[in-house]
Amino acid sequence: MKIIVAIKQVPERDAPLRIAADGRWIEDSAVGYTINDPDAYALEEALQLKEKHGGEVIALTLGPERAAAALRDALAKGADRAIHVLEENIAVLDSLGIASQLAAAVRTESPDLILTGLQSDDLGAGQTGVVLAELLGIPSATIVMQVEVTDVGLRVKRELEDGWFQHIEMPLPALLTIQSGINKLRYATLMGIKKAKTKDLKVMEAAPLNTSAAVSLERLHPPEKLKRTQMISGTAVEAATKLAEILKNEVHAI
Amino acid sequence: MRAALQLGIMLPLHYAEPQNFSLGERVLLIVCVLASAAIFYIRIRSIVQNIFFARRDADFHLRNLPRRIQRFVWEVLLQAKVIRERPLPGIAHAFVFWGFIAFALVSANHFAAAFGFGFLSPASGIGKFYFGLAAVFAALVFISISGLFLRRFVLRPRWLGEHVSVESGIIALLIALLMATHIGGFFFPAAAPTLRLLWWMHSLAILVFLPIIPRTKHLHLLLSPFAVFFARDGFSRIPPLDGEEDFGLIAVKDLTQLAALQAYSCVECGRCTEHCPANATSKLLNPKEIILGLRASLNESGIFSDAPLIGAHNSQQAMFECTTCGACEYQCPVGVEHLPLIIGMRRGAVNTGEWQDEHGSRLFLALERGGNALGLPAADRDVFIARESLPIFDGSQEYCLWLGCMGAYDPRGREIISAFARVMQYLGTSFGVMQKERCTGDPVRRLGNDLVFETLATQNMAAMQQAQVKKIVSICPHCVRTIAKDWREYGVVPEIEHHSEFMARHADALPSTQSQERTVFHDPCYLGRYQNIYEEPRETIRRNADLVEAPRSHERSFCCGAGGGHAFLGEETGERVSHVRAKELIATGATTIAAACPFCNTMFRDALSAISPVPPQLVDIAQIAAAALPVQKQ
Repeated sequence: MKIIVAIKQVPERDAPLRIAADGRWIEDSAVGYTINDPDAYALEEALQLKEKHGGEVIALTLGPERAAAALRDALAKGADRAIHVLEENIAVLDSLGIASQLAAAVRTESPDLILTGLQSDDLGAGQTGVVLAELLGIPSATIVMQVEVTDVGLRVKRELEDGWFQHIEMPLPALLTIQSGINKLRYATLMGIKKAKTKDLKVMEAAPLNTSAAVSLERLHPPEKLKRTQMISGTAVEAATKLAEILKNEVHAI
Repeated sequence: MRAALQLGIMLPLHYAEPQNFSLGERVLLIVCVLASAAIFYIRIRSIVQNIFFARRDADFHLRNLPRRIQRFVWEVLLQAKVIRERPLPGIAHAFVFWGFIAFALVSANHFAAAFGFGFLSPASGIGKFYFGLAAVFAALVFISISGLFLRRFVLRPRWLGEHVSVESGIIALLIALLMATHIGGFFFPAAAPTLRLLWWMHSLAILVFLPIIPRTKHLHLLLSPFAVFFARDGFSRIPPLDGEEDFGLIAVKDLTQLAALQAYSCVECGRCTEHCPANATSKLLNPKEIILGLRASLNESGIFSDAPLIGAHNSQQAMFECTTCGACEYQCPVGVEHLPLIIGMRRGAVNTGEWQDEHGSRLFLALERGGNALGLPAADRDVFIARESLPIFDGSQEYCLWLGCMGAYDPRGREIISAFARVMQYLGTSFGVMQKERCTGDPVRRLGNDLVFETLATQNMAAMQQAQVKKIVSICPHCVRTIAKDWREYGVVPEIEHHSEFMARHADALPSTQSQERTVFHDPCYLGRYQNIYEEPRETIRRNADLVEAPRSHERSFCCGAGGGHAFLGEETGERVSHVRAKELIATGATTIAAACPFCNTMFRDALSAISPVPPQLVDIAQIAAAALPVQKQ
């Protein structure tokens, strides 16, 4: 089975985020980058499928030169080769633009399966995967919690709301967007890093797009800290009743 | 036996050797000597090859000759380590050893005399003296070897192993026979047939002894002096990986010359196992068996083999049960360095991804991605620094106060930092904390993850260089050891000390409470055995409390169970190491347990609450010192 995993390089979890002067993106020189968390799970799922059923795992990313680090990480963890679609200014692209660039790279490979994280940790639009599937004209399933290969294709488990799951069968080729926590990530090893150096990392120039972005980022705002304290008076029973009411009806926590 | 002892002193009884050996006798002797030498050669050849053709030790230097010579004299010639750690059998062993040395000349003369080349005439003055001296040793050796024989076959201490070693018995009998036949030489005139018989028995005993040496633990007679002399500089010294293809100890061919030499030097005394906290709590790990496993692999496959080290003779589970407390390496009388071997095999399993462990993977991923072992957001550290108003190091202060993962994130570790910061402030010492710190890499270093260790060490070192850090002080012995020794692999490291050293140096400037609180001190492995710091933390306690000692203290301290990455790994099999130690500390009757390591502290916190309804108070030495300070104005 030939599997492509589309991964995105995003700022590290603890990166100090500052909004850039133009107000449209963060100052990206000061932050460290890492593989988008759900994409790491997508990669792990691809590696496990390959270990079980054989085949090849290709890591694919779209981004500036620094994004090659994410591909090298993927190669170190066990991907067989990687494709880097070079795009210095990824911030100007919307989900459709990104998916179009990825689609162009995917078409050169005609994989059986495409995996990607369900959304990115930085923008969190959750669109790239499904749009990519549409552009390629293949079926897709989102928020996937389990993947099984069957005689006719795949059987996957999707996470719905409220603890409900959906089991569906789908033919190949297909695209799945993977939920974090679907598997246990493997750690990077020294041997993996050394082997990665000898693996093929193909760099492709991004194709010029004929459509301009339909969605653009106008302005970033740091989240406002809203910490409100509300004192609840009365006897213990009254206060508890009132607290339960607030938690249920206002905060929707229970 | 007392009579035998007096023999040597009771000159003029003097030694005699048979005269006029016939041609037939000489031919027979030559045949026996050649046969013995040939069997010896056949049996030792592959061993010598396995050592000589092994990979060279990448970081080995024969520098520090004075220290090596000192160690050789102390541990080999004087047998000081053997005696100190097990006094009675140690003395017995020392007499056997010294007896062997005294007999070197006697034995050489013994065979030479048969061919008329004797160089030590029993009649000469020097001969009288020397044979007399040898006789004293013969008596002492006879008594000692009898004692050791009784110990091994009658008392049978557990750590000598479950099965009785037959060849040890044979060797003991041979040694006793050698001594008895030598002493016999004092009782018969030169022409007596009995003397001739004794002479032949003595000769044959030596010739039988010789070929037994290579394939038994008695090989230590030949190899352990080399193993002690060539041992690496420093405790638990982990060698750098050698080139692009080195991932640690995976196959037999990965064993280095020192590793092979040490594996063959093991005398199977079991001191390592006797002091091993994992073994004492019913885990699989048995350090002696690890070394013997390596020896078995070498013997079976040879040094060029690709046969895996973990498999037939050693198990992965045992390897990862080690807390790296170092009691084994510390105790070993023949220079075996267990930690580089155990960690070497862990490296082999982790650097290739062979080791799959849920908690281990979680730890590695937390360090890969977040930089702290507890897997918490770095912002938590910033919050703590702000709350405690700790100054940020900017190059103007004298000390960089290294927080470490425990000091920055763990509630108890934070209390220790806060107490120590007050001590430093009281003394007027300027200090600052790093804006950003990552784990020193201690747990991954000990677990064998070179990739993460190198990343963490180099990132921290770059940050320190940029901040122009010159002196570091830390509350954590693991951080101190890792920064001071392990980081050196990647460049120059600032000077670092443990807060116990800092406080001991400033003891006179710190107030003392003179309280009589019974306080027991737990020696952290990474402070004591690893860095030889025993008195400094006690200094702080003595000034503020009534110091009591645990049964196992100083060099013999028993691990808390946290080291070697175990603070972050899952449930132990068998009894918990921390519980055993906590019970021992409680049994001293102390009302306070003083620790000097945030890992020991956190292990005991959990252990104490689990095993005692009213546990003693648990503090760090910094908290003891801080409690004596005048109350601060808020």
